[in-house]
Amino acid sequence: MTKDNEEENFMQRPTTRREFLKKSFEGAAGAAVSFSILNLFTDSAEAKGFELADGIVIVDPVKCTGCRRCETNCTAFNDGKAHPYISRIKVGQNYNFGKSGPTINYQNGNGHLGDFTIIGETCRQCESPRCINACPMDAIHVDEKTGARVINKDKCVGCGRCAVACPYDVPTVDPETEKSTKCTLCEGEPACAAGCPTGAIRYIAWEDVEHVLIERENLIENN
Amino acid sequence: MPQYKGWAGKILRVNLSSGSISTEKTAKYKDYIGGMGIGYRIMWNEVPENTDPFDEENKIIFAAGPLTGTGAPCTARTNITSLLPANPQNLIGDSHMGGHFSPEMKYAGYDAIVIEGKAPRPVWLKIEDGNVSLEDATKLWGQGIFDTTANVAGMMGKEAQVAAIGQAGENQVNLSTIMTSGNHSAGGHGGIMGSKNLKAIGIIGTQSVEYASDKKEWIELNEFVMSIIGANNQHVVPSTPQPWAEFHDSSSRWTAQEGLYWGAADEEVETGICPPEDTNKIGYRTMKAIKDLGAISEDYTVRMGGCQSCPIRCHSSVEVPELEKYGVSRYVSNTCMGFWNHYYVNQNAESEMDNFLNKTLGAQLADDYGLWFNYGQLGRDLKYAYDNGILKEVLPAEEYNDIPWDLYEKGDPQFLVDLYKRIAYQEGEISHLGDGAAQLAKRWNFGEDYWNDQTNSLWSPLGYPVHHANESNGQVGSLINLIFNRDPMCHSHQNFIGSGLPIKLQKEIASEIWGSEDAIDVPANYTPMNLAKARFAKWSLVRNVLHDSMTVCNWMFPLATSPLKERNYRGDTTLEAQYFSKATGMNVSEEELDEMGRRILTLHRAMTVKQMGEVDMRNEHDQIVDWVFDMDPDKEPFDPGTIKMDRDDMEKAKTMLYQELGWDPKTGAPTAETLDELGMQDVKRELANKNLLPYQA
Repeated sequence: MTKDNEEENFMQRPTTRREFLKKSFEGAAGAAVSFSILNLFTDSAEAKGFELADGIVIVDPVKCTGCRRCETNCTAFNDGKAHPYISRIKVGQNYNFGKSGPTINYQNGNGHLGDFTIIGETCRQCESPRCINACPMDAIHVDEKTGARVINKDKCVGCGRCAVACPYDVPTVDPETEKSTKCTLCEGEPACAAGCPTGAIRYIAWEDVEHVLIERENLIENN
Repeated sequence: MPQYKGWAGKILRVNLSSGSISTEKTAKYKDYIGGMGIGYRIMWNEVPENTDPFDEENKIIFAAGPLTGTGAPCTARTNITSLLPANPQNLIGDSHMGGHFSPEMKYAGYDAIVIEGKAPRPVWLKIEDGNVSLEDATKLWGQGIFDTTANVAGMMGKEAQVAAIGQAGENQVNLSTIMTSGNHSAGGHGGIMGSKNLKAIGIIGTQSVEYASDKKEWIELNEFVMSIIGANNQHVVPSTPQPWAEFHDSSSRWTAQEGLYWGAADEEVETGICPPEDTNKIGYRTMKAIKDLGAISEDYTVRMGGCQSCPIRCHSSVEVPELEKYGVSRYVSNTCMGFWNHYYVNQNAESEMDNFLNKTLGAQLADDYGLWFNYGQLGRDLKYAYDNGILKEVLPAEEYNDIPWDLYEKGDPQFLVDLYKRIAYQEGEISHLGDGAAQLAKRWNFGEDYWNDQTNSLWSPLGYPVHHANESNGQVGSLINLIFNRDPMCHSHQNFIGSGLPIKLQKEIASEIWGSEDAIDVPANYTPMNLAKARFAKWSLVRNVLHDSMTVCNWMFPLATSPLKERNYRGDTTLEAQYFSKATGMNVSEEELDEMGRRILTLHRAMTVKQMGEVDMRNEHDQIVDWVFDMDPDKEPFDPGTIKMDRDDMEKAKTMLYQELGWDPKTGAPTAETLDELGMQDVKRELANKNLLPYQA
């Protein structure tokens, strides 16, 4: 196979199905977000801020071994079923090839077919959450106990605008309930962290979030 | 299967000849659970005996069971059933892989994928939930597995899980693999995909797998398993003294300890002290690299890895910059024989570094070409043929002189680069090393000494080696090594006797499960056959096929022991039944589920009888090569210090196992009564029509 062919094949669709759908939606809605201007870390939209959550869940890309118990533990606790596609912590989508998907140089990129770095994505419980600002139904509110930004299933109509708005691809419309899902912090004891066999998932207090995220980004950048 | 959960409910059928894609309900196979059970039921029903493995009429079934995808620990196995090209009679068999493939298949809505026919040109199968299509694979044909996987994911989306063959499978090498996620290989059926012009299967699933029980019960059961699980192979004591541990055993795979690191991780990661109650450290318990790759590997270890849903991380992911000079990636991941196979090919290496490079380079090359090594046998076959001057006789001089034997003599890793390419591309006479041991022995006219020399490690005239046989509790391991049509992928017994617990405790637990402490012997200090051993062998086999049907990893389950002193080290053998009941909503007891396992094992036996056209399994199938009985000439069987077996005792052992399974004690074939009892009247009728029931002839 020639190099040109390889490039053609590799780059046809380097994103997940959810990201693909999201980008289609963006185009249709004419509401594309310029990702380059987003802060690397917890994102802030222009609009109103909310009371901070107690903390956020973060996955250590060095300790994560990609067993994905977190995904089924998440949906067992929150949904009573096994459903990684809607898990609020997303490891599977980056498992084989990292965030960028398979590139020409995949053997040295992130992921299990690369340098073994597994990048789990989690909700940042943003100060001014794009998901809340995007929701036309006012269906995302701040949980009284944990401060998590949570979806009110009675109000949610499954339009998917929160999924489109989130720069971390966390909210996901459950195709079986047609309601969106996002991290609830599990009433203060996140099931993903509790069940992680390598302690790679931590529920981190807000004041420590920034330096942990910077460390994480450095580890990913370095790979 | 609307009334039951766990199962996805549908089976996907793809006919490559006609291009037709259809689904059918899983419900009709529910008595056979899933995985292996579905595979055998479809092969029995649909593939006539005397079919050649590479014929269009052969089928290949990728199947999982009701537990896969649920998130129950250790449930990501994929069971693949088809005829076995490397078996000299092409008898049916399974190959198995871990990874993330079968959970994704379940999330896409399928319990199994049945591949039929032969595509007119290379294709790959694309599955996105209900959208299934055959895609042109012309550009993929000829690529290795790693690039194929990346290309398919590039076309589908990065989250796709892919199973693919390499050049070995394309070229219909008998000893070839199907591989998923970089290093999870199923040995023996790569050539079947190749013969069908099917290069890869890519899956994206966005649906759920539901369980019948309420979530509280489900989560509690998972948490209970996390509390009694051990290390890899359910080793429940650490390998070195630990502050929390009453016992230790140097052979345990619970190797975590202070001062032992994932030495090539980007941050300091110490395996450290991992007491059983700290379930957030389960994944550190098994630092497998030092077991497979030696102490040298610690500094190269990036992390451990493994399958979806499994807290036990038994695969070693190592970064070896030195590999780049051989033209492969520095990042290698594998476990056990995935590394050791290459030690057996290149046995002359002397330095620890060369052995390390042979194992890691060999893994990288073999996983890309998709080569299988028949549980290490390929390397021993090469050594036998070389040492006995056979290669000089059978290889044309030009070919012989073209092979860098000087590198082989030194155990230089570069030799693998040369040899594996020849086998994968079927270049020259040497490539027949990939035919399988029995076919090779015939082609190259190996003498009786080949079969009967203990160092060659052969077990069966069917051409497979010892895999936890007479060295594993004497008659019990020996019996387990007789029943299948390849090396037994059975660890039920091995996990139990390898737990690391003192023999006194093992005997107590054995007594509770199999009725007598006599079920197990002190290693290499064997006693004659007895009923408890027959029960132990039956239990091991039945649980093995249950696991391959549910699908659960038999390298961890059954959890008959635990690391918990407060439980007096007892595990829980009811877990499979609890999981099956809670997942499906079909409430079964431990005994009832074991009977379902016996049904599947009996179908395997019936299929073997049908394919061989032979009732007398005892003498025509369940055979053991002579060294097992003739080794250690200065010792008698049952003397301390030998694993030598006794011929008469072994025949008695077969009789007792056959009886336990409800098979004819004389021939070892399923009886009409047993087939009725197991609800397999159609199998009985077909065997009766072919004069293949015991007492008929």
